[in-house]
Amino acid sequence: MDDVHKKPPTKVPSPLGPVLFAGAVVGEVVAYLCFPSMVPVALIGVATIAFAVGMVDDFSVMGGRAKPLLLLFAGVPLVLSITLQPDLYEPHLVFPILGPSAEHFAIYTLLVVAAFPIVANAFNMMDAFNGELSWFTLLTSLALLFGVVLRAVYTPSFSVARVAATLPLVAVAAGFLVFNRHPSKAFDGNSGSLLLGALFAALAVVDGVEVAAVIALVPAILNSFYTLSSVRGFVERRKMRARPTYIGEDGLLHASVDSSSPNTLVRLILLGGPMAEKDLVNSIIVLTAAGCLLSGAISALTWVH
Amino acid sequence: MRTAPIIGIEVAAFALILVESYAFFTYIVPVGPLPHDPLRYTADAALKVVLTFGLGLLWLVVILALTRVYVRSRLRSQTPSVSS
Repeated sequence: MDDVHKKPPTKVPSPLGPVLFAGAVVGEVVAYLCFPSMVPVALIGVATIAFAVGMVDDFSVMGGRAKPLLLLFAGVPLVLSITLQPDLYEPHLVFPILGPSAEHFAIYTLLVVAAFPIVANAFNMMDAFNGELSWFTLLTSLALLFGVVLRAVYTPSFSVARVAATLPLVAVAAGFLVFNRHPSKAFDGNSGSLLLGALFAALAVVDGVEVAAVIALVPAILNSFYTLSSVRGFVERRKMRARPTYIGEDGLLHASVDSSSPNTLVRLILLGGPMAEKDLVNSIIVLTAAGCLLSGAISALTWVH
Repeated sequence: MRTAPIIGIEVAAFALILVESYAFFTYIVPVGPLPHDPLRYTADAALKVVLTFGLGLLWLVVILALTRVYVRSRLRSQTPSVSS
């Protein structure tokens, strides 16, 4: 596909989603063989559904509402798996210092199912520039892994199997970065971004580190929230009337000064002045790293005692 | 560093989540059955849902307001004034 942020546009192989999916499945199978439990099985189910939705979107563009609706099904394997392993996830949130909330299976499960389209779309919306999503996934999955390791160290009853099930996401993100960093040699496509987002959401739930995961995702949440509030609803990005950014004659990325342009995170950064794509991605990495440091602080405040 | 104001918004989002979760545990969770509730436990459950929704709405309003201030200040600095 065309890399539209190059002048003139260059051709880049896409989608890399099937390779990322294969890597995640192999990793989870290894995790299952080392520590048999329903956790890797549920994660493979989640990854399969999100990947399938992404593949359909890669080859026939879905409507702005169809994608989030179909992604609700990505949570189904988790809900089904809990019938086979009742401790697959704990239906409460654990807050820093304050401790766990009251357990409420129905409300928690509904929130879990609703979280999949939100998180997967948040990852999808962070997939606009060379290396943006790969750096974002690697840093946030490391923040997630940090929280899980702290929990495993300070909670004796916490299964090491969950740490093992988290490692494939970190490994896939690291491998993806090799090909996706600036200048990209491959794009993941929607199949890759939705798969990574759904896996991240599922791991946050089964590992019980939801609050730290939300904090790590703050840049992506702000990005999606700005976009949704600016265009007032779910609109497929190819159908937006005004673009948030454009490439100037100087080859640099500029923020659109059109008041009807969506306020994406990238537009907010470029409002400070035009930038080359690589510098822009570096700014996004800085923002992501800041979110991940805050997430690490949350994990420490929650689990270290 | 041009990302500093956006990191500020991130930190505000983070701090609000902490403060609101404290408010949730301290003020909303302990709300008991309301006196004279004919449906027993329904009115206080509804009140908890409304208050929690209010906390979520407060988060959105504050983050949107901070972003609007940032966007306006940046756009103002880019637009040449009439006198120049």
